[in-house]
Amino acid sequence: MRGIKDVLTVSLLAVTAVLMFGAIYAVFVYVPDERIMGPVQRIFYFHVPSAIVTFFSVLVLLVGSIAYLWTRQPFWDNLSRAATEIGLLFCAVVLITGPIWAKKAWGVWWTWEARLTTTLVLWLILAACLMVRGYAENRDQGARLAAVLGIVAGLDVPIIYKAVDWWRGQHPVVFGPGKKNPLAPEMLHTFLFCLLVFFLLYALLLTLRTRVATLEDRARAISETLGGR
Amino acid sequence: MVASKDLQIEWRTLETLSSMVLFSLIVLVVFNFAFDLTTVRQIGVARLVPGVLWVTFSFSAIVGFARSFQIERHRDSLSALILAPVDRSVLFTGKALANFATVAALELLILPLSAVFFDYDLLAVLGPLVAVVLLHTLGLCELGTLFAAVAARVGRGEALLATLLFPVASPLFISAVKCTSGVLEGKPLSSVSNWMLVTAGFDVLYFLVAMLTFEYILED
Repeated sequence: MRGIKDVLTVSLLAVTAVLMFGAIYAVFVYVPDERIMGPVQRIFYFHVPSAIVTFFSVLVLLVGSIAYLWTRQPFWDNLSRAATEIGLLFCAVVLITGPIWAKKAWGVWWTWEARLTTTLVLWLILAACLMVRGYAENRDQGARLAAVLGIVAGLDVPIIYKAVDWWRGQHPVVFGPGKKNPLAPEMLHTFLFCLLVFFLLYALLLTLRTRVATLEDRARAISETLGGR
Repeated sequence: MVASKDLQIEWRTLETLSSMVLFSLIVLVVFNFAFDLTTVRQIGVARLVPGVLWVTFSFSAIVGFARSFQIERHRDSLSALILAPVDRSVLFTGKALANFATVAALELLILPLSAVFFDYDLLAVLGPLVAVVLLHTLGLCELGTLFAAVAARVGRGEALLATLLFPVASPLFISAVKCTSGVLEGKPLSSVSNWMLVTAGFDVLYFLVAMLTFEYILED
């Protein structure tokens, strides 16, 4: 162990791992079946937290991108890169768990419904941000271009969300203004618990990925000082 | 100034515009293979033509956007432009305006053609339709110019540009199709005024974002 950062990271890892088992227990054992949809509704406890975490990741990307262009600290670029990659990962989880549920509940794998369209578009935008990084001639250029895209993407996501919503919507809205909370207490507990676990998992992955990127930077700097490539 | 330079080059060679026109003609013809006139009448012009029009416009616009930075790449005169003692945002405005003029010229050619191919009465809806098309084209050109600069910096062409532009511009396309459809149904412009207002807001927002971020793209 070297330093407080490592201790914190390892404890975060331990806590997340333990709680994740708790979440799996809660989803499969603790919570009762939903009356109409049956067991398939249990996917909701992973699906919705992943979606919330994805949107949060876009927010991190927006903040990181602005901060990078402002300060030019490599840390912010590493953070944005981590947010892009992990956001893409959680977005993929949303896009995979969604159709599994939809096949049972709606009878189709995919429909061009509002949130589905938004999520798919979001996935494409995040993937495009990573592509530009890959194509860039050097790290600096990639960081700058990706930051510009990150800002555009971050501002665009709420617009897409709204636009698609007006366009068409049939997504089940569980929580919303003017709606009574329809969940049984066990369901609400499980949901909130899963949300917490997913945020912890996100924090863990973000920390690790940012640190790996920082280490990569250091390794590159060292190999450049040594004159090799 | 930048706009007039680009437009002058374009006017003398007509290189970009001619390739865009030919390309959009091909797209229109392909659509006619897919939907012949009977199908069009069955589905209804207002439901089919907006999609056809905007796919055609955006595909050909991509061709134009990608070229708009290639002229500079070929002769490496982008560095000269960057060195010019003007703000980078002026460069963006110029490029975007030139792109807008080119795409608008293309659209003015394609609209009558689409009316002929898909058999609708263009003159009856001309005013509102042109307003809808130009407002949405403006937003498309702002984003397109910004992303074309990104694609040019990493030395990639249309493929990367399309991957970047289409997802981000999706609210624009949704609104464009909605408005065009409303106008083609013969409704007045005020019936789609909420979408038009959103698009106007979108145009302004992305203009500001592009102005602020463009210099980071050009930086070496």
